[in-house]
Amino acid sequence: MSEPLLEVDNLQVHFPLRRHSMFAAPQTVRAVDGVSFSVARGRTFGIVGESGSGKTTTALAVMRLIELTAGEIRLAGQPFSTLQGEALRSARHKVQMIFQDPYSSLNPRMRAGAIVREPMQRMNVGSEDERRERGRALFEQVGLRPDQMDLFPHQFSGGQRQRIGIARALATKPELVVCDEPVSALDVAIQAQILNLLGALQKQVGLTYLFISHDLGVVQYLCDEVAVMYLGQVVEYSTREALFEDPLHPYTWALLSAVPRIGNRRKGAAGRIRLEGDPPSPINPPPGCRFSARCPFAEARCRTEAPALREVRPGQRVACHLVREDGSTPHRPAAL
Amino acid sequence: MPALLEIENLQVEFDTWDGRVRVLDGVSLSVDAGQTLGIVGESGCGKSMTALAIMGLVPRPAGHITGGSIRFRGEDLLKVPEARLRELRGDRIAMIFQEPMTSLNPVFTVGDQIAETARLHLGLSAADARKRAIEMLKAVHIPSAERRVDEYPHQFSGGMRQRVMIAMALACEPEVLIADEPTTALDVTVQAQIFDLLQELRDTRGTAIVLITHDMGAIAEMADRVVVMYAGRKVEEGSVEAILGQPSHPYTRGLLACRPQLQLGRAKRKALQEIPGVVPPLHLLGRGCAFADRCPQMMPRCKEAYPPETQAGASHVASCWLLPPPGEAA
Repeated sequence: MSEPLLEVDNLQVHFPLRRHSMFAAPQTVRAVDGVSFSVARGRTFGIVGESGSGKTTTALAVMRLIELTAGEIRLAGQPFSTLQGEALRSARHKVQMIFQDPYSSLNPRMRAGAIVREPMQRMNVGSEDERRERGRALFEQVGLRPDQMDLFPHQFSGGQRQRIGIARALATKPELVVCDEPVSALDVAIQAQILNLLGALQKQVGLTYLFISHDLGVVQYLCDEVAVMYLGQVVEYSTREALFEDPLHPYTWALLSAVPRIGNRRKGAAGRIRLEGDPPSPINPPPGCRFSARCPFAEARCRTEAPALREVRPGQRVACHLVREDGSTPHRPAAL
Repeated sequence: MPALLEIENLQVEFDTWDGRVRVLDGVSLSVDAGQTLGIVGESGCGKSMTALAIMGLVPRPAGHITGGSIRFRGEDLLKVPEARLRELRGDRIAMIFQEPMTSLNPVFTVGDQIAETARLHLGLSAADARKRAIEMLKAVHIPSAERRVDEYPHQFSGGMRQRVMIAMALACEPEVLIADEPTTALDVTVQAQIFDLLQELRDTRGTAIVLITHDMGAIAEMADRVVVMYAGRKVEEGSVEAILGQPSHPYTRGLLACRPQLQLGRAKRKALQEIPGVVPPLHLLGRGCAFADRCPQMMPRCKEAYPPETQAGASHVASCWLLPPPGEAA
């Protein structure tokens, strides 16, 4: 294992809600509530979870695009979450982001080449000529033709636009690239093109990815380590192999068994975990395990006492009272 | 005996700035009671247009149905008067749309919206229609239906709204339910709930389901028969076992290989096969196979003429020159 490039320690992001009346108790959305993980250089770290689990908020906090309520973020051993003003600005070239929607994340009034050059201009990288040359090289690197630099975003297809977004993210030679659902807005056949491009770029440039996705198939394909988030907290944190071979948390089981798979004709709900309803609200969440309300195996203590994330095997951490010390799980369905 | 719903050689054309474009070209398919037909393909392949044509909702004046037939219980929906179509639509044939966020009217309660269908088609009184709405909300497993029937769409989550859409579609117990990407906007655990619900309907009421999707995983779990569409044409059709087990068209094989499939247990990372390029603009289609430019097995003849529909197995057909043409049995 190489040294960690990104370390996130007890990250909390809370949003205060406007009170309905001056007598109402103040309410807080605990979007991210005590998340810790570290990402080794040159590796891909995946965060999976459903909408509302706090995965995008975590990504935005790592990018320093929203204010942290508490916690610390370090980049290559240096504090990143405490940087302010000019120091933050000059450190930003090390972290870049690829956005979910290639339609709304490109300025429609700028030419593609200018979009890719903009981060370099903002961060005063190189001379005008050098930037132009790098833009051209980036276009080729992401599989676009340099003559397309003069076109506007609407003249590109969805997949090509995502390639422009990737070229823009790479422009400042970042060490960490945060990918927030980079393929979920794309057509099925195009997703593979972008995933393969991300994989190839990682090999060529030695990038480190923080990869946010709700798609477990994509996460299994691309990530080395994975954190499963539920209502602002990490419930399971494992290597890829362990997570898909020996998942421990009931929520992970539910996610895995919900994914439609080829070669898995539906024979009723036997052996599967089906969750009822929707995740509860992250506003003043209940004490105890946040998953307990939907967990089919919850016991009395799950509703009162919050389980800590603990290591049960090397490379495998889980926050669940029901997992025994030796990592065995009494309720695990046979289908998984 | 003819199938419950049978489409034959359907042609739909659109007037565009680039001239008249054929968006559906000779599409034939059928579905029977208690059966799920999956239609799969990328965006722009004509999946949704097929659904709209069945519902008589091809946008006018730009769109024209220029040929073919859509027979429901033997009655050609393209020939019946608009009034008859209105009788059938929502009553015998219902549709669930892709976007539960935008397909519900925000200024009416969900109860009113479900009751409207029941009042129009079943002639129920307002009180009975309301009872029916509560019953339908219960049928789609919405908790405390008696209370929630008076709530507005914005008070429901995405998964719940999709259930409301399904409740609305089911209010008159339709014989055919068309579900156009019913779960694309939803989380996987909610998608599993919706799929369970559709399965339950098919099994308990014998509803015929036409499921439109781009996800081969969803096809594997839900469909009995599968139609693969590309650029406005049906390129392959067969049982779900045949399509997943022995796909005959390179496009079907591409769709199966291009998505990282979740594998449980000890799994090796397999390289992801991409389908290069994009669906060609429909006004630029030549004489040949529309997939030729993206096909890894393209031959000169693919550019010259469109391949005929060829038997690839028992009730399994594909349009590809790689298959031995009829008469020249392999």
